[in-house]
Amino acid sequence: MYQFVRFAAVRASLAIFTLVLVSFIVFSLMELVPGDCAERYLAFKNSQGAQISIADIEAERVRLGLDKPYIQRWGTWIINAFQGEFGDSCILRLNISQLLGQKIWLSVGICLASLLVAYMIAVPVGIIAATSRNPYLNNGLRLVSYLGLALPNFLLALMIMLFSTVMFGDSLTGLFSKEYRDADWSYDRVMDFLSHVWLPVFILGWSATAFAIQTVRALMSDEISKLYVTAAAARGVSGSRLLLRYPARHALSPIINSLGFDLNRIFNELPIVALILTLTEAGSLLIESLARSNDQQLAGAIIFFLTGSIVAINFITDILLAVIDPRIRHSIMG
Amino acid sequence: MTDKTNIDVDVDQKAKDAYFTASQGQLIWTRFKKQKAAMVGAWVLVILILSGFFAPFLTPYDPTIDGRDKEYENGAPQIPSFCDDNGCSFRPFIYTYERERSIKTNFRWATVIDTDKRRYLVFFTQGDEYKILGVKFSTHLFGVDSGKVHLFGTDSTGKDILSRTFHAINTSMAVGTIGVFIAFVLALMIGGLSGYHGGWVDSLIQMVTDAVRTVPAIPLFMALAAFIPSVWSAEARFLFISIILGFIGWPTLARRVRTHLLTERNQEYVLAAKLCGASGGHIIRRHLLPSFTSYIIVDLVISFPYMVLSETALSFIGLGLKDPVNSLGVMLQNVTKADVLLNYQWYFIPVIFFIVLVMAFVFVGDGLRDAADPYSSTKK
Repeated sequence: MYQFVRFAAVRASLAIFTLVLVSFIVFSLMELVPGDCAERYLAFKNSQGAQISIADIEAERVRLGLDKPYIQRWGTWIINAFQGEFGDSCILRLNISQLLGQKIWLSVGICLASLLVAYMIAVPVGIIAATSRNPYLNNGLRLVSYLGLALPNFLLALMIMLFSTVMFGDSLTGLFSKEYRDADWSYDRVMDFLSHVWLPVFILGWSATAFAIQTVRALMSDEISKLYVTAAAARGVSGSRLLLRYPARHALSPIINSLGFDLNRIFNELPIVALILTLTEAGSLLIESLARSNDQQLAGAIIFFLTGSIVAINFITDILLAVIDPRIRHSIMG
Repeated sequence: MTDKTNIDVDVDQKAKDAYFTASQGQLIWTRFKKQKAAMVGAWVLVILILSGFFAPFLTPYDPTIDGRDKEYENGAPQIPSFCDDNGCSFRPFIYTYERERSIKTNFRWATVIDTDKRRYLVFFTQGDEYKILGVKFSTHLFGVDSGKVHLFGTDSTGKDILSRTFHAINTSMAVGTIGVFIAFVLALMIGGLSGYHGGWVDSLIQMVTDAVRTVPAIPLFMALAAFIPSVWSAEARFLFISIILGFIGWPTLARRVRTHLLTERNQEYVLAAKLCGASGGHIIRRHLLPSFTSYIIVDLVISFPYMVLSETALSFIGLGLKDPVNSLGVMLQNVTKADVLLNYQWYFIPVIFFIVLVMAFVFVGDGLRDAADPYSSTKK
């Protein structure tokens, strides 16, 4: 038990170290961007008719603490960030945690759901593909996984929209119907949400599924020819019992390990898919702040949050793997 | 009888000699040629790249606003035919169209097709001037005898979609190439340093690389791309996007370089070079890199489609390239509008080219990977 706690502690400190490093990268990149928050805010005031002088900008810089040295500001930022406090947005002048609040959780939730769906499909299909000798099935799956790469999610989303507009006259966009958009959560709203959310989940999970099938299949076919499987078969274990109890357990642990990077890939596709499907609740804030409005404070917060959830997943999978995989458990227990 | 067996042995011996003296590149090529799908992919790829390169000749019009057809905005694809109600012709033709605004069209501009006036297709016709490798030409593969022809239709400003698509292949390939190159240089430097030194340098660099890999690249670079001043010229944007793509792509490549180096660095020839007093950089450049050049090339080919995809994605949301540069992403910028979805579906034609291009790359990359894997033949 002691070793396990130590292992968890080492992993946790590594995760925090990664986060700090990432925050430094993100913070520096946001600093490199020309202009700062004070200028943006006063430029906005200027457009409202107020007279602005250089002295005003300087005063605003002092107020926001932008005159302090770089490292010190980064320090404050990261300490606040770990407490979930990202300050005010440069353009909207609103508290960022309030602004993001539900929306970012919704986005992360959709991404996690598509990851889940991807693996729920990929694991059984991959195992079947590895064991089956049916050439049509194998070639078909190969084609699907190639398409998963060549038809990126945003093109798939476009295709589906094109198809549904031509066929049904409905473009299937948004996360809520009009009447539920600003309503409070209720049973009907949840149902409405579920009736809309399957499409983004499917589209985001599409290439993840294709990749995952490929990986599961490769890992499975490596394991399946090993001696311990033959030995188990010789002892009379057969069918799905043989597959699931012997090779599948070995094949699946590297997959658990790569979940974090799969989530990363889905995050990469989220803003674009969100833009196409006009997921105003989940994606538009991302796009707006990242792309349109030059809001470095908000953009930094969002990227930090996304990275944070990837690091969290990596940490959880590490721990999970140590719990369920006896090989790793033994290696850390010494 | 004995002569014949001698010759056989000779041939055998020659084949063996050829096999044992073949360079890694030759071996990979021999194995690659055996894979049907990869070969088809390679041919498609070559054809697409060439057609991208010779796009100005193969397509009838200038893809920028200069080549627009004012008479035919948002025009549907025109399919040349040989026969109609007025009889048949040996030469394929399309119909004449005109823009008209009258009481009939409710005083809006509308395109009217006149099926009585034919426009015949002509080949090797003179048209817009263009440059290939700095030499000016004005001959185009095809055109029509009067007016213009748009096989894939036109967009909202009257630009020919066929011309734009072929030019876009070229641009996307160029952006991808520069991106891959930048990623490659970064990967060589970082992966090389990490793999050659090993030990704590390696651990440190790996830790940093892993941290960099956890940052979702597209949102991050969206944030950065947003700060590109809108006054930047098309060329500056082009370069900037390529650099961004390079920065997105390097960690995977760096890891591969590192793994290769880690396995190679303990070989005796490295020790020999060290004992001769060669410097670290010299050993990496002259001895270690050539030992796995072919694998690196394979990795580059595999990472290429990702570059093209990222470029398309960035341009698609309007953060990458912009008009007048034509890239596949630029061409897709307008397609999410309901108007386009309902009325102008030919905007999607470039998507087909895009998918074929990426698929071809994936097939070639997969084939190369199998071919470069020395154990691939023994496995089966």
